[in-house]
Parts: sequence; structure tokens; C-alpha cells
Amino acid sequence: MMDRREFLKMAACLSASFGITQLPGMVYAALKKIDPAGVPRLLYLQGQSCTGCSISLLQAESPNAVSMITQYSKLSFHTDLSATSGKQALNLIEDYISGKAGEYYLAVEGSIPWDMPEACVIGDKPFADYLAAAAKTMNGAIAVGTCATHGGIPAAEGNLTGAVSLKEFYKRKEINPLLIEIPGCSVHPDWVWKTIIHLVQVGLPELINGQPKLFFSRKVHELCPRYHDFQQEIFALKLGDKGCLFKLGCLGPDTYADCPTRWWNGGQTWCIDANAPCIGCAAPSFAAKKNFPFYRSFEQTMNGTSEDNK
Amino acid sequence: MKVDIGPVTRLEGHLSIQTTVENNVITEAVSRGEMFRGFEAFLRGRDPLDAQQITQRICGVCPYAHAIASSYAQENAYKLIVPPNGRILHNLIQGANHLYDYLLHFYQLSALDFVDVTAILKYKGTDSDLTALGDWVKAETGSKSSFPAAPFLPRLSGRYIADAQTNILALKHYIESLEIQKKANKASAIFGGKFPHATAIFPGGCTQEPDIDHIASYRSLIREVQDFIHKKYLPDILAVAGEFPEYWHIGQSRGGFLSYGLLPFGPELDSKRLFAPGVLLENNISQVNFDAIREDVKYSKYSSPSGLTVKEGELTPSPHKPGAYSWVKAPRYQGKMVEVGPAARILVDYRQNNNPKIKQLVDKFAGMAGIKADNLNSVLGRHLCRAISAVVIADFLLEETERIDIQAPFMAQYDLPESGEGFGATEASRGALLHYIRIKEYKIEKYECVVPTTWNCSPKDDRDQPGALESALVGTRVENPEEQIEANRIVHSFDPCLACAVH
Repeated sequence: MMDRREFLKMAACLSASFGITQLPGMVYAALKKIDPAGVPRLLYLQGQSCTGCSISLLQAESPNAVSMITQYSKLSFHTDLSATSGKQALNLIEDYISGKAGEYYLAVEGSIPWDMPEACVIGDKPFADYLAAAAKTMNGAIAVGTCATHGGIPAAEGNLTGAVSLKEFYKRKEINPLLIEIPGCSVHPDWVWKTIIHLVQVGLPELINGQPKLFFSRKVHELCPRYHDFQQEIFALKLGDKGCLFKLGCLGPDTYADCPTRWWNGGQTWCIDANAPCIGCAAPSFAAKKNFPFYRSFEQTMNGTSEDNK
Repeated sequence: MKVDIGPVTRLEGHLSIQTTVENNVITEAVSRGEMFRGFEAFLRGRDPLDAQQITQRICGVCPYAHAIASSYAQENAYKLIVPPNGRILHNLIQGANHLYDYLLHFYQLSALDFVDVTAILKYKGTDSDLTALGDWVKAETGSKSSFPAAPFLPRLSGRYIADAQTNILALKHYIESLEIQKKANKASAIFGGKFPHATAIFPGGCTQEPDIDHIASYRSLIREVQDFIHKKYLPDILAVAGEFPEYWHIGQSRGGFLSYGLLPFGPELDSKRLFAPGVLLENNISQVNFDAIREDVKYSKYSSPSGLTVKEGELTPSPHKPGAYSWVKAPRYQGKMVEVGPAARILVDYRQNNNPKIKQLVDKFAGMAGIKADNLNSVLGRHLCRAISAVVIADFLLEETERIDIQAPFMAQYDLPESGEGFGATEASRGALLHYIRIKEYKIEKYECVVPTTWNCSPKDDRDQPGALESALVGTRVENPEEQIEANRIVHSFDPCLACAVH
């Protein structure tokens, strides 16, 4: 394990290679006020997405969405929020992607239809063309949500578009940009916004398998308040029962995410508190296979482990 | 001249509109959905109980509507006996989701078509939200940034509200609404498990117990939302209407109206609903028949046969099909184009005298604005119908919590059949939503969705009749044909959701 000092040093070195200016200053500014001029812009584009992650980002509490948009992320474009539209919007996007408009991070929600580029178009160009061009100018990319990190639902077995994640897209294009992956269907707003605050105030957060360690280092099962029920073998046997939901197909043991300690919707609730089995929406194999349904008997669970379903 | 006004922003997804403009009047409009995923294909062969989870991912803006439609379809396919609490919890979840969606639509997706953001620079008061916003806009516009004060600037040219106080109040409510929509979502998440994409909704109920802890939180949150609806949302719509009264007469669609009805009063799906179902064609109301719906694909990017019923639906993508211009199919009712959504929901209910509260509100506001009920088919009409829906739904949700029997079951018991089929019909905030499931050998054999924006943003059908939005744009006068803020206002009034439309 590295200590905090070593980590900050590494973050500074890493960040320096991404072209952020005033780096050592930014690292030590962790506890200082943000310098608005130094905050890179955020260009938010959607591929094969449902906008659920964007809507989740609006559910943020502290800081709330307005602070994030205006102060921390400097959101320069988002389809759902931008006043600009049409050609004016395309010009704005092109100015960033061509490198004319200054430093930016690219946020991508949704998957990319590799086999059928016409299945996602912005303006007159396939979405994929924007991603390839942006790789040359952006500071880095943030893959927002399971569609962008692993293909998600659009990439489920039997899909017709050959949907892939952002990482897979860049790999096939033989491009290797800085990529931060934040899974979840949808993402928790904190996972994205606080990663951005980390980028702006401290530098690159520590990543495990491309995902911020801050949120994705432990499995749902390990953190679950019903772990005691699991140990005592107090199992829910039908939907609506309390107790450990493992025998209904809960994928908490397979899913890295801090939902059990973070909770959702401003701490109001989360899936397992509502007696709903975790469906592994932040896991690589989420919804991937037809023969691995969300709700399974104990026997089905034992016969089809997640390893078979990646 | 031909002008493409896409990508149109402040809506869900990938919509482009190509217009033909002659002498500053739109003479033709072509609505193009530009993103395809193919849910109906990859749902086949899956476990039926996966459906209410997977179909929520059609749309992250109105996922709960898809969960409910899918649950209804499965209830019919399983011939489930639903406990009264199960239906009440479905209603509490879905109704709260409508409230959030109306606020999001008016403030975040539509208000910037009318409200002048730069008015904040004139603000001299002490409200902390407004001073923070003002300081930020000042710093941004004084900076060297390429696009200062994005995402609120740049914007399309056109007339915005002139009065500084009206603008500043609207901006305050823009910020406040972001807090209020969270409360509506918290309320639905209490029983849904989380928002977006609820995990606790199932056919026949939800897994969260309706104990007093949950009910009390739910009621308190809905009351706060209700207060905002009455004191801010409705008055803000009337303020916009006062500044832009011509929009009671701009953006009429040229077909009929369809609503499946919303929020059943009892556990059976054919119970009376808070909003009545019906189809309004040439001023005649009739009952909805799902077999009268056919989806044309002459101008859609599919090579599968055109004119299939919902049960027959097929999906073979053909991105280069000659003449095709959209991924959206063209559903028609008895071969006729219809609009769905808030105006359809209200008009269909109003014409049947189903809900006295709706009649009273329509008559009151139509009287104030000096319009007829028919003028609800307009830009302002759609906005007003959302607000009327919000008022009626919020009252209903509070009453519904009193009907919960906390001792009684809240989930149906399952014994999933080897085969079966069922329709599930409800109203998403954007309009008539239909799911169809057919089960064979315990797996989904066929799943079809006909979604609100599929109707509203459809391309032309096999007989070359335009879709509802296409028809509503024709005849509109535009000051600046390159930008067309007027057309943007019309598009936004439909609240398009392209992820829904194509799915």
C-alpha cells in the first residue's frame, strides 16, 4: 500500500502527463478554494444511452447539481441542459473536439454501436467519429454508467448493433487515452461528481481496474447491513421477505460498489433496504446473458456463477 | 430552403428535424430518430421476470412507467391476483415519478426557450442561490472562456421575456425545482428501491413493506412537491402564457388523440382510472382496442414487414434502406395519426367527463386564458395539461396512502406459467405506453413496446401521413430560419424521448 504522500506524488506525475497546467499547485490545493480558471471543461456526450445516468446526476445532494455544473465540472455541453441547439450546438462540440476551445474532459454515457455506426448519430456524423477525434484533444475521458464501462444493456446477448464499451471502442481503434470508468445502471451521482471534484482539486483518483477505488473497492455483500442475516442463515425465500436476499438471486457477492454504505436518492433508501435483490448493475456481466436471469433460485445461482457469464 | 435544426437539445436523446422553410414559414418537417438499440430483439429468450428490469433501461427519464407497463403485461400473462396494497404501491411509485418528470420538463427542458438567463446580471437582492448564479455568470462572461456561462449560453436568437423580475423569479424556481424533483424521486424510491431504475417493482406489487415509517416519509415528500406545484409551477406556466399568448395557437398536431388512462383505483387492471382511457378521432370518443394499432415502416430503417399489429411486431434493422429517414416506427390507430401525451390525456378524460377535478381545472384555466378546450392542442396547452395532471396526481397520491392496509399483503404470489400473453397499458408522463409480452416454455417469446414518442415523433406512415410532431411544425412562422426558436418551442412542448421512441 502506498501512503497518502506517495499517492499525491503519483497523482501529480500522472496528471502532468495529461496536460493539466499548474499541477503541483493543484495537488496541494486539495483543501483550498478552486481556481475557476484552472478547472477543465466537461463535454458530456451520449451514445446508446437511456439518459438514466444524467437523470441520476441531477439527484446529487452535496454538492448539488447546480454547484457541480457551474463550479466544479464547468459543464460546457449536455443535451438535456444546454440552451444551445442545432448547428450552434454542433459548432460548440466541434470547437472542443478540434482542440480550439481549450482543455476539457469528455464524459460519455452509453455504449457505441461498433457493428452499426448508423445506429447512433449526432448531426450528420456517427457518434463513434466524435470519440475517435476527441481522443487527440481531450485531457481524458470519463465513462459514465455500465453501458459506457462494459456495454451494459445495449450489449446484452442477442443485440443487433454490436454495442461496445468506451474502453473496448478505443482498444479496437488502438487508441489509449486516460480513461476513468464509473459503472452502475444508473451511476450513483456521487460516484461521478466526486470523481470530478477529485480530478479538479487533487488530480487523478486512485483506480482499480479503471474504476475509482474510493467507491468500488469492496463488494456490496461485504458492506451489506444484512451480512449478519447471511451469517445466521436468515434468508428471504420469496419476494417481499426481509433477510439476506442471496437465495432470491442477489448479486451483492459479485458486485463492487458502495451502495450499502452510501445509499441512494440522498440517503433515502437503496435496493436491499427495499428488500430488492442486487441485480449487479455495476458488475461487468450485468444483464449480459439470457440464461442468467436476475431472479434465481439458490440452485440456479450455484449452477451459473458470474465467471461463466462474462 | 431546407434547414436542419438538429440535434435538438433539451430533450432525451438523438432527435433531428429537417425543415423546409418558404417565406419564413415551415412548409414541411421531417422528424428523425437517430439512435437504435433493439430491446425487442434482445428480450427474446430471457426470463419473463427480467422484463420489468430490462425495459426500464429503455428510458432513464421515465423508467418507472416502463416498469409499470411491463408489470401490467406480466400480470395479465400470469393471470395474477394482485393484492390491493400491491396496486396502491405501484400507483405511489408511478405517480411520484410523473410529478418529477413534469417539473424537469418545464424548468430544465423548456424554460430556457422563454426565460432570459442574462437577467440575473441585474439581480441586486440577497438570495444566496441567485447571488451565486449572478456572480458565476459575471465571472464567466468576463473570462476568456470560449463558451462562457455554458450550458446556459449560447442560446438561439429570438424574443425572451423582457421583465427582469419575471426572469429572476423563474431562474430562482429553475434552481429550486432541481431540489423539488429530488423529493418526488425520493418518494417513489421509498417503494421502488432507488431512482432511476427501480429494483423493488414487480408484477403484482413491490418488495418494500408499506409500514408507517415509509408512508409518513412518502406523504411528507409529496406534500412539499404539491406545495411547489401550486405556488410556483402553475403560476410560472401562467406567467409564460401571459408573455407568449400566441402559443395557445401554435404547434397544433393535425390528427386524433390517444390515452390509455392512468392510475387504477383498484387492484384489477380494468378498474376505473384517475385519468380515463380512450381514443378521440374526429371528435368522437371510443374505447381503446390494441388490435387497431399497426406500425408502419415505409420511412423507418427496418426491412421487416410494414403495417404489423403489436402482437406480430418484427424488427430487422436496415440502416441504409432507401427512402427511410428515421429509426422511429410509425404507429397508427385505425390507420390514423394520433397525438399522445398530456394534452391527449386531459382531452380524452375531459370529453368523457371522467374526473370532475380535471373538468374544473380545464374550464378554469381555459376561461382565464380566453381559449377553448381544443386549444390545449398547442405549445402552451401541452404545458398547462402537464400542470393540471400534476395537481390531480399529487392530490390522488395523498389520498391513496390512506387506502393502504398496513396489515395486508403488498406482493402477489407467483407461480409462473409455461406460456401466456398479456398487454400492459398505462400513461408515461409523455403519453400512451403499451407493452406486450408472450411467454413460451417459461421464456419470453415476443416482447413489443409502443412508446409515447414513437407516436409523437414518428416519421410518415405508408400512406405518407406525417407524424404528430411533423404535422404540428408545418405552418409555423419562424423569424430566423437558420435557428428557429419557434420550432424548438414546439418540439419541446411534446417532451420527446428518443430512447423511448426507438428503444
